[in-house]
Amino acid sequence: MSRPRKDPRAARAAHLVAGGARPRFDLAAMPATTGRLRRDPRAEERLALVPGTLRRRLDRAQRVAVVSAAPNALAAPVDAAPRLVVIAQPAYLVAVVPDAPGGRLSAHDRQLFGAARMLADEGGGAVLAFVEQPGEELGQAGADRVLALPVSGYDPEAKALALHAALAALDLRHVLFPESADGGDLARRLAALSGEPFFAGTESLSPKAVTRAARGRRVEQRRIPPRLISLAPDAVAPHAGTLHEALPVEFSFPQPTSGALLSAQFIPADPAKVSLAEADFVVSAGNGVSDLNAFRALAAVLGATPGASRMLCDAGLMPRAAQVGASGTVLDARVYFALGIAGAPQHLQGVAKCEQVIAVNTDLHAAMIERAGLAIVADAQKVMPALLALLQQERAS
Amino acid sequence: MKIAVLLSAGRHSVSGRPAPVPVELQALRLAVDLAAQCGGQSGGDVTGLHAGPELGPLTDALGHGLAHLIHLRGEGTADPAPALATALAAGGYDLILAGRAGQGGWDAGLLPYTLARALGLPIIADAAGLAPGEAPGTLGVEQALARGARRRLVVRLPALVTVHSAAPAPLPFAFAGMRRGRVETREAPPAPAPAPDVEERAYRPRPKLIAKAATGASALERLRAATEAASGGGRLLVDPAPEEAAREILAHLRALGLPAGR
Ligand SMILES: Cc1cc2nc3c(=O)[nH]c(=O)nc-3n(C[C@H](O)[C@H](O)[C@H](O)COP(=O)(O)OP(=O)(O)OC[C@H]3O[C@@H](n4cnc5c(N)ncnc54)[C@H](O)[C@@H]3O)c2cc1C
Ligand SMILES: Nc1ncnc2c1ncn2[C@@H]1O[C@H](COP(=O)(O)O)[C@@H](O)[C@H]1O
Repeated sequence: MSRPRKDPRAARAAHLVAGGARPRFDLAAMPATTGRLRRDPRAEERLALVPGTLRRRLDRAQRVAVVSAAPNALAAPVDAAPRLVVIAQPAYLVAVVPDAPGGRLSAHDRQLFGAARMLADEGGGAVLAFVEQPGEELGQAGADRVLALPVSGYDPEAKALALHAALAALDLRHVLFPESADGGDLARRLAALSGEPFFAGTESLSPKAVTRAARGRRVEQRRIPPRLISLAPDAVAPHAGTLHEALPVEFSFPQPTSGALLSAQFIPADPAKVSLAEADFVVSAGNGVSDLNAFRALAAVLGATPGASRMLCDAGLMPRAAQVGASGTVLDARVYFALGIAGAPQHLQGVAKCEQVIAVNTDLHAAMIERAGLAIVADAQKVMPALLALLQQERAS
Repeated sequence: MKIAVLLSAGRHSVSGRPAPVPVELQALRLAVDLAAQCGGQSGGDVTGLHAGPELGPLTDALGHGLAHLIHLRGEGTADPAPALATALAAGGYDLILAGRAGQGGWDAGLLPYTLARALGLPIIADAAGLAPGEAPGTLGVEQALARGARRRLVVRLPALVTVHSAAPAPLPFAFAGMRRGRVETREAPPAPAPAPDVEERAYRPRPKLIAKAATGASALERLRAATEAASGGGRLLVDPAPEEAAREILAHLRALGLPAGR
């Protein structure tokens, strides 16, 4: 590495104080920095010094926070008002068919929008979302246009026919589906209907290539992105940063005809039978719960899958299959209700994916209380009967 | 009721050797059970179909309860759909069962859909249970969804149904059953091979997306990201009366859309 040579005369001239008959130099003043910033090890050490201890102690971890403070301060106003991106004249369209159970986008659906944005932003295209019930979150998720599908209830064949009509009429360069139970089914129906090339369960995606596993996960298949793609979960990051307009568009779909499906009825999972990894709502007990009968009754009445911390499983009070955490089950649940659990890191790893945590603990400083969206500092042995009584009272009235 | 089960040439998930695909044996079990339930009315019979160069270990299916296996012999590279479509149309089956995806081929699960289109049959995906419908000529299908949920459907027969791995386990293997079973070989008309527009290489598992762990962050920050996901606007109640705590918890659960206790 070569450094520019120092010019002592120029360095001195930089300290010159203007005005006055005689030249005056203020050597204490720092001249405006040019080029690379210099590290000041003494100032860094002063920042890392922990005050109030007899022995000199340096907390170097703090330095990371100090250094990253500057870019964070710049990033904050961007977060406050995400930039609205308007694509008035799209070069092409990339369609997304999210599952959106109950009209809300799932995490997998958001990743789908991330993939669609990647394909659309490559060449000035726009993202078109096909949904049953248009919601407000679509613009934030990354949709430029929104088309409402004229389907009600469970009728995948009618949905596929509607999509087929749209695929033929609109110039859709790609159509993306989630590789989930309903999304994967719909994608294959459309592939069989239209005869378009279809890439199932894509594990990595870029505008140049898509890959998937085949031959019993021994071979990776790779090609340029075809028209129909279904995306495996957790393969692409969701879209973030910019806001899109989510403009509703009109399209005249053909009249749906009745299929061979005579009736369809949704049956929710039995929480007592589903495995912990699949459960949607988990109630979990830790060392702070001594009344396990009340706990089991509460789990049954709330319709939740029971879990436990390692302490209870080690003690034989709960089955090993119920253990939540790094060496137990990593949950995929939406809601986690922790009773008397301290929140050791090994336990919290099992809860990392849960959207919402409710904690009851006697210790205000427990890690679980910090993690929780609703934290209650109280005795679990008193809260559980109160909750049971409240539920019973509700049922009676 | 005449039932056909589509059996593909699979590979074992661990050893990689030729083996029947587990989910297709589960489909076979559903077919055998359904045929037994309908046995009184129309004399159930279950036929297996395979299109490919050779049967190999698929004769194991005979040991898992299949009585009759039809082998449509064709070239290994040929598309199996046309041969299967003609055989299925000629057989006049009420119900055709297939696996949700193969294991050892392309594994895209697309073949049942192209077959359903070619035969003009309705298709139902991911069955975990089958039962004869109340009205004659209908079938009750229990469809497996994510997180252990189910959907109960009633379809008019004939139909094509793919089977999910949440279906009951295959019938145990019986050697005598394999000896007793009948294999019929037919020559399939030559079909064009699908154009290979993909490039294949050895599989490399790709890292899954991690929540928010910023790349380049320190180990401490990555641990924090893994253990403390953001839970917006945490509310803290210190020493409330148990009744008040219970009311708060229930209101919170309801706000999250859980039917707790209802
Ligand atoms: C290699 C390794 C792997 C591990 N894997 C796991 C794992 O997978 N899963 C797991 O859970 N643990 C695991 N652990 C153990 C983990 O480190 C903790 O020891 C364990 O999670 C603590 O369980 P706990 O919170 O129930 O118990 P404690 O730590 O004893 O906490 C009990 C909590 O209950 C509170 N409490 C007490 N009385 C009451 C009351 N009346 N009402 C309300 N609250 C009350 C207390 O304030 C305290 O916070 C692992 C440990 C190791 C070393
Ligand atoms: N060559 C074949 N012969 C008979 N059935 C097949 C054949 N290939 C696939 N199938 C059926 O189609 C299902 C899906 O296969 P695939 O589309 O290859 O994932 C399989 O589970 C089988 O039931």
